[in-house]
Amino acid sequence: MTERLVLAVPSKGRLMEQTSDMMAAAGLNLRKTGHERGYRGEIEGLDNIDVAYISASEIAWYLKTGRAHLGVTGEDLVREQMSDADDRVEFVKKLGFGHADVVVAVPTGWIDVRTMSDLDGIAQQFRRAHGRWYRVATKYLNLTRRFFASKGVTDYRIVESLGATEGTPAAGTADLIVDITTTGETLKANGLKILDDGIILNSEANLVVSNTAEWNPRVREAQNEILSRLGV
Amino acid sequence: MVAETAKSFEALERQAQTLMSVFVKAGHEAVAPSMIQPADVFLDVIGEALRARTYVFTDHDGDELCLRPDLTVPTCRLHLERHPTGNVKAKYCYNGPAFRFQPQGADSVHPREFRQAGIEAFGGTDREKSEAQIVATTVEALKAAGLTDFKLRIGDLGLFRAVLKAAQMPERWRMLLAHQFWHPEAFRNELGRLSNGPAKALQGLPADLVASLDPAKRADSERKVAKHLESQGVDLVGVRSVSEITESLLGIVEDGRAEPLAPETAQLIESYLGVTAPARAAGARLKDLMRDKGVDITGALDSFHRRLQLMAEAGVDVVRADFTAEFGRTLEYYTGFVFEVVSPALGPGSPVAGGGRYDSLMRSAGSPEDVPAVGAAIHTERLLAAIEGTTG
Repeated sequence: MTERLVLAVPSKGRLMEQTSDMMAAAGLNLRKTGHERGYRGEIEGLDNIDVAYISASEIAWYLKTGRAHLGVTGEDLVREQMSDADDRVEFVKKLGFGHADVVVAVPTGWIDVRTMSDLDGIAQQFRRAHGRWYRVATKYLNLTRRFFASKGVTDYRIVESLGATEGTPAAGTADLIVDITTTGETLKANGLKILDDGIILNSEANLVVSNTAEWNPRVREAQNEILSRLGV
Repeated sequence: MVAETAKSFEALERQAQTLMSVFVKAGHEAVAPSMIQPADVFLDVIGEALRARTYVFTDHDGDELCLRPDLTVPTCRLHLERHPTGNVKAKYCYNGPAFRFQPQGADSVHPREFRQAGIEAFGGTDREKSEAQIVATTVEALKAAGLTDFKLRIGDLGLFRAVLKAAQMPERWRMLLAHQFWHPEAFRNELGRLSNGPAKALQGLPADLVASLDPAKRADSERKVAKHLESQGVDLVGVRSVSEITESLLGIVEDGRAEPLAPETAQLIESYLGVTAPARAAGARLKDLMRDKGVDITGALDSFHRRLQLMAEAGVDVVRADFTAEFGRTLEYYTGFVFEVVSPALGPGSPVAGGGRYDSLMRSAGSPEDVPAVGAAIHTERLLAAIEGTTG
């Protein structure tokens, strides 16, 4: 039985810096142990806590499987990896950074398509003209499937896209996309617009507690310490 | 998941032999389609929603494959391998495993692996006769396996389409409503939209452009759309052409300019969808309802009666059949008659068998045109449970 709390934080980029700053502002100084390029760390002055530096998308998986007790990651990544996110984890604090909306975007020239219902409306016509359903490029397979189903859109195909998703309609590998956007500028530059009711999720970085992790009194105590300093 | 005991394995094997012998005697050729199927064809047919329930994987060559979630599509593909045009008369039967991911976790009622036994009849030109035969053979097989207590539920999308056709509205609206039949909530919204103010469809569209479009002048409208895009500095990305966008816009414009759906028409559709009755009384009920509304669906009603008659002649106890107008709304690939066999031991949520007509499935699987197709599948583990539940 583990007696130490595992806190998973992003291992690189802006997210890592912002997480570090946010924690420091609350008097929680993250510090790497061992090599500067290593992936393990601690919080100064607090025992019983291991900090794991991992990629933001893997943090969701750590929380889902209980390998981490606490984690800092985007709500989009958590919801994508868990269809039952509200059972498995608790979003205890929105952190005010890492803002990104997960949206449905179609070519700007599709002036006849403004809503999800319009999108459904062109499905049959598209199939008649091109002999296939329209393709949606995304890395958010589950979010897309759930959102489209909730809007009654069923006649489409997903193509998985792990990068440069907004370029796929122009490249011809997809017809529309589901992707994250902050300002919408990249979408615009690629000739795409967001559907009026096409915002799937307003995501930002969250402090997330795993319900599946193993909790014992010492770990719980360490959690309370972190949460109280962060004002949760 | 509970491991299968040798005893239940043997019981299922014995049961399968009984089912298959009934199928073969009824003229169905026994076939064993591949368990591993190309994901692409399958996903195109069953849709992205069912992908979440399908085991899809990539093999070492990078090809996307799946474990078949049912045996109907694999049987269509097998038929197409033999007859590329598809439109050749053939009757098949099968028994074998199918696989479905259970998002809430697998259990005995929702197994991730189950055996399906079924029949398919392709290319039959006498529609009602093919349908009646499929029901009769299915019921006969269930009885031969030992099922005594069951009810038949039937539905008919042909009647629904006939009601739509007889109702006063633009053709485009008929297509919209027929398409939304499978999505009850979207259907209700659509009916509301068409009844209360189709003009709202125009809100948010560029007003000048909309005012200049004329559905009767297709080429002219297309030029105006192209000009509009150019004036807005929009580069059209992707495969969808200005001509397609124009066609769709003209549909919206027509909607916007049309008179709203008459209240009595919306009411007619709603009261049709509300009909549930014993099958033999349903025909008379529908006839009265349509006469009251001044609507003629004689052709579809004749088919309904003839099918019921043929079912009775083939030995189906139609007194035990119930008709529900809404039935079939969750099964998108059915295009006409649908039926289900329900046992009181398992309840209506877990039918023992089901089937119907799906004339467009063969085309989705690669045939150049629609092929008349009727079929049925038995959930064999449920059948065994239902029989054991009633006898022991």
